[in-house]
Amino acid sequence: MAMGTPPGLQTDCEVLLSRFQETNSVGFEGFAELWRSMKFATVFSGKMRNLEKNTFTKEALALAWRYFLPPYTFHIRVGGLYLLYGFYNTQLCQPKQKIRVALRDWDEVLKFQQDLINAQHFDAAYIFRKLRQEKAFHFTAMPKLLSYRMKKKIQRTEVTEEFKDTSDRVMKLITSDVLEEMLNVHDHYQKMKRKILADNSLQEKAISLIKDDFFDTIKNIVLEHQQWQEDRKNPPLKPKDGEETREERSQETERCERAESLAKIKSKAFSFVVQASKSRRHRQVKLDSSDSDSASNPGQTQAAKKKRSRQTLKSAGKKAPSRNKGHERSTRKEEKSLRLSMPVIKEEEENGSCSEQEFTVPKRRRRY
Amino acid sequence: MEARNPARTATVAQVQQMSHSRIPHLPAREQCAQTWAQSLARPRPGTGLARGLPGNAVCKAPPAPPRRSPAGSLTQLQVPSRSARPCSLGFAKGKGVGTNMAEDSRGGPTCSWMGDSQDPVPGSGGYNFPEYEIPEVNTRAFHVGTIGELWRGRLRGAEDLSLKEPRAPELPGCPGDAASDPGDAAVARDLDCSLEKAAELRAVCSLDKLKCLEEGEDPEAIPEDTELVTLGIRKRFLEHREETITIDRACRQETFAYEMESHAIGKKPENPANMIEEGELILSVNILYPVIFHKHKEHKPYQTMLVLGTQKLTELRDSICCVSDLQIGGEFSNSPDQAPEHISKDLYKSAFFYFEGTFLHDKRYPECRDLSSTIIEWSESHDRGYGKFQTARMEDFTFNDLHIKLGFPYLYCHQGDCEHVVVITDIRLVHHDDCLDRTLYPLLIKKHWLWTRKCFVCKMYTARWVTNNDSFAPQDPCFFCDVCFRMLHYDSEGNKLGEFLAYPYVDPGTFN
Repeated sequence: MAMGTPPGLQTDCEVLLSRFQETNSVGFEGFAELWRSMKFATVFSGKMRNLEKNTFTKEALALAWRYFLPPYTFHIRVGGLYLLYGFYNTQLCQPKQKIRVALRDWDEVLKFQQDLINAQHFDAAYIFRKLRQEKAFHFTAMPKLLSYRMKKKIQRTEVTEEFKDTSDRVMKLITSDVLEEMLNVHDHYQKMKRKILADNSLQEKAISLIKDDFFDTIKNIVLEHQQWQEDRKNPPLKPKDGEETREERSQETERCERAESLAKIKSKAFSFVVQASKSRRHRQVKLDSSDSDSASNPGQTQAAKKKRSRQTLKSAGKKAPSRNKGHERSTRKEEKSLRLSMPVIKEEEENGSCSEQEFTVPKRRRRY
Repeated sequence: MEARNPARTATVAQVQQMSHSRIPHLPAREQCAQTWAQSLARPRPGTGLARGLPGNAVCKAPPAPPRRSPAGSLTQLQVPSRSARPCSLGFAKGKGVGTNMAEDSRGGPTCSWMGDSQDPVPGSGGYNFPEYEIPEVNTRAFHVGTIGELWRGRLRGAEDLSLKEPRAPELPGCPGDAASDPGDAAVARDLDCSLEKAAELRAVCSLDKLKCLEEGEDPEAIPEDTELVTLGIRKRFLEHREETITIDRACRQETFAYEMESHAIGKKPENPANMIEEGELILSVNILYPVIFHKHKEHKPYQTMLVLGTQKLTELRDSICCVSDLQIGGEFSNSPDQAPEHISKDLYKSAFFYFEGTFLHDKRYPECRDLSSTIIEWSESHDRGYGKFQTARMEDFTFNDLHIKLGFPYLYCHQGDCEHVVVITDIRLVHHDDCLDRTLYPLLIKKHWLWTRKCFVCKMYTARWVTNNDSFAPQDPCFFCDVCFRMLHYDSEGNKLGEFLAYPYVDPGTFN
């Protein structure tokens, strides 16, 4: 009996998870409080008969499971874990419906568990351990049952944008391991160079092929990037002052504010054009105003607004340098004809921190 | 170099801090300084940088178990040079089938699971993980037994595989023992925290933190002031029913379906020898009905069976109830009392399964024929674009030995031309809540409810006879139950009245 995700359940889960994300803690107490305040356990009420109860519970667990896996942010993933715990223990089916975990996801799950322990988030680690102890899992080959039903519309599981962990591309590439290795290589290289020089007394200039402080520069760039990510995430969400203010705020006003801030960001981003470097001085960028899109219709729904902003920024997004390879830094400047959100490093000057806090939406456009 | 060290240490620390700041409140890890030489000596998981640097020898070497050829245990059937790796999977042989593999003398050409139609082991990082071939529809082909192996390997040592009832995590009625619980020590060990912390966790994460209702409140009642969208929708639905005075009861089909799904849950065998072992795989197989009604063109009806990984294909074959097995051939208008001697099941015993390019025949009885020879000849007569088909004996293989795609339609054919589409929908490890009596498998858990044809006369009983060219009947063909048939067509002495042809009829809904 194929039900698909029950209507409304995803909305409810996302409300709970976004509220959880706004509390800046990953402790279970905070989640439990939200859970109780929303009386979330009552999703199972309504006198469903046995068959429907089974199907509904299975779908609910499958939905919560999605939030537990990448590409969601760490906070959301912990929220997903708590949500699973909640659903599993408040379900009305007897015997309990289990949580399906596929083979390919198990390693990721274990890694997450280890991260939790290392970071001393004991609540979450304890809860996962507890679920395992209670034999709440079915260990399967694939996440869903596959019965070759040719549905007219295959339900595509969409990843909620707000919860998505967006920092991955750059951070995955330039990890701390990579940087350490870079540093090691660099040191080794310098050592070798000095040895050679000492022996052969060649002109140092002749074999000066790299920038000596490139490592520092890389490190600064990546740090800035990370800082930019953080800042980008935090301003759109108002910091929580007290429980009451947060709960009183309705969804509509949130959307309005969001739309307005998006529009503001967009207009700021596109109003500034960088000077192309000297080697490309014949291709200066001219500013083309696209006022029609900015700050119009704040009352539009969130989804429509985001879609439009995505589309209008598509052309800009394409020019964004998508890779930050450390040792190929020189190629980056070729791609920077249009000023975008990333801070620009000009080759001539070594300014490690021209960090403008401008953010646009292109980063969010990427779907994983 | 010395002068640089403090700066470098600071740099490294900064770098590590940065990468770990995504996970909040992380205590600082020790720095692990590695020299270039060290990193050369030890192959490390690939990094983008390592690949890019010229002339470096660091290669991507994810820690992977030795790569298994997809044939797994069946490599012995191959020409020996093909697979260099000895296969150490004892499980794949199934019980009592082990020796058959090596012999080529039986059953025609050797079975090749490594045929060109295979798409062996894409897997992430060298593992045989099943992956989608068409997203959300079906996976690529993989070896069933390997799934069991991979899971068991990952869960070994933990309690996950055990089929014993888990210890009740929260013993009710001892609130005074909040200070000490034997489980706390285990928690403290696993999470690397203090005993007090473990006790605190037990309290903080206890189940009553999730309780949303007061004592005495009905868990089924929808609260008035709910903000949940799900409940809002459900409430509207229920209110609509009340307004239109629609009575919503479980119809018998629903009760039947629920019963089928849950009748065997938790059953334990009387004889402990019949207990399923932990780590056993359970496959869920959909067998579609061969009936082709117009109303079924969108969703074909099917039945679902659970089958164990160590069970042979013949066991599944025997448990498939198809009405065509019960057909009785012959015209019996002159001798209606003559009990039919043989049903088709006894007469025509041949059958085959088709999985991934191989036809597996039932060769247990001498009269079983190779039904697929026609197909194979047809395929080989011209270049029709199908790879080389193989044949094998059904009784030699268990489900663990198969290479299949999940969610992909295969075939079961019996009675010469009765064809059922077979789809394997799910594979998972056995759980203590499942039916643990292996004699009950293959276990039917879902069956389509087919409306039976009723007698034309009384409209009450299921039809048992069908007549053609019948002068008494208003339509051709016409269905009768046994009593009405005799009353209409024969006199009190049993003499045939009128002209007609009569055949025994078995309704597809007979198995309801």
